[in-house]
Amino acid sequence: MMSNATFEPVEILLVEDNPGDVRLTKEALRHSKVLNSIHIVGDGDSALEFLKRTGEFAEAPPVDLVLLDLNLPGLHGRDVLSEIRREPRLTHLPVVILTTSSAEIDILKSYKLHANCYITKPLDFDGFTEVVRALEGFWLSIVKLPPRAVE
Amino acid sequence: MSDASGATERIRRQLARERRARAQAEEIAEKTTRDLYEANLELQRANRDLEQFAHIASHDLQEPLRMVASFTQLIGKRYRGKLDADADEFIDYAVNGARRMQAMINGLLEYSRLSRTPPSSTVTDVNEVCRRAIENLKGSIEECGAIITRDELPRIRAGPTELERLFQNLIGNAIKFRGSQAPRIHVSVEREYDSWRFSVRDNGIGIRVEDRERIFGMFRRLNSGDAYPGNGIGLAIAKRIVERHGGRIWLDTAPGQGSTFQFTLPAIRGVVR
Repeated sequence: MMSNATFEPVEILLVEDNPGDVRLTKEALRHSKVLNSIHIVGDGDSALEFLKRTGEFAEAPPVDLVLLDLNLPGLHGRDVLSEIRREPRLTHLPVVILTTSSAEIDILKSYKLHANCYITKPLDFDGFTEVVRALEGFWLSIVKLPPRAVE
Repeated sequence: MSDASGATERIRRQLARERRARAQAEEIAEKTTRDLYEANLELQRANRDLEQFAHIASHDLQEPLRMVASFTQLIGKRYRGKLDADADEFIDYAVNGARRMQAMINGLLEYSRLSRTPPSSTVTDVNEVCRRAIENLKGSIEECGAIITRDELPRIRAGPTELERLFQNLIGNAIKFRGSQAPRIHVSVEREYDSWRFSVRDNGIGIRVEDRERIFGMFRRLNSGDAYPGNGIGLAIAKRIVERHGGRIWLDTAPGQGSTFQFTLPAIRGVVR
């Protein structure tokens, strides 16, 4: 199981409802040096179903890293985060909050709910590329992600 | 009728007239006070509405603007040199316009945030504030070899973040509008009765005397857009900060002779330094 782990793509779940931002993130991740496979859901309920691999997402791969926007239709990003931390099978997942808000209250609440880190969406594409590069350089290179649970 | 009762009658009528006049005057005074009170309430309401509008507008405008800025940039990166020369030029104008709009909206958002809460009155060491403002400008300072000096500055009651923004805007302004020589900027202070008068003096290009007041208006750019960078709102923000703290700000200047921005802030009673 471990021997071909380095050649498998990192499975990233992007929870984002703004199609423009989805596109920007995909573009920025396209030229990543780390092999990655990005999955998109547009709301919190779908995100939880994807992570739990239930319903229409029964065939979904196990996720290694979650990029989570806060302002989602329906379930708020913070509630998604809470649920991830509450669910024993998901609680270990690294969650990176990637959102427009730079309000301190949002930052604090996210960390209090045990987000791994908080990033404010950059204002243009150059900024976006830098952020994604930084994410790769840290989360996908230096950092050891948790091993996938054997089910 | 005897003279005495006639006189009494006259006095009675006189007193009655005076009473009526007094009652009328009181009524007018009451009405005027009510009118003023309501006019004041109305102004406060209008003010709050405007502030809310400015905040909502600039906040909500950020997202679509982010889309325009990001994707025109992406088009530029992907297709530069692959379409024709006209396309490259059009893309540049679009990207540039989007960037300038973002700067303006950020400035507007910052300005509208200032109005929402009263400034705090923490005892603040202005030396420390000035040091932090200069630290924030490190990049531009090193880039142009600016030399910034300051007197010993006092402690005052102020919002530390706003004060830092004030100094950063004024010093940053001095750096931006430099002449051909490396900027020399000096921050000094004088005590004037119950206020401190701060000065930020530079050896830059100076400003025409006629523009001395216009320059504090929002989005008042005195030079053409591209020559000097900036969102045109830095000085409007500086003015708002000074006035929120109960001070005044003005400019002494002449073209080619640099500028000295001066502003007053209330001193802490009983503190000399």
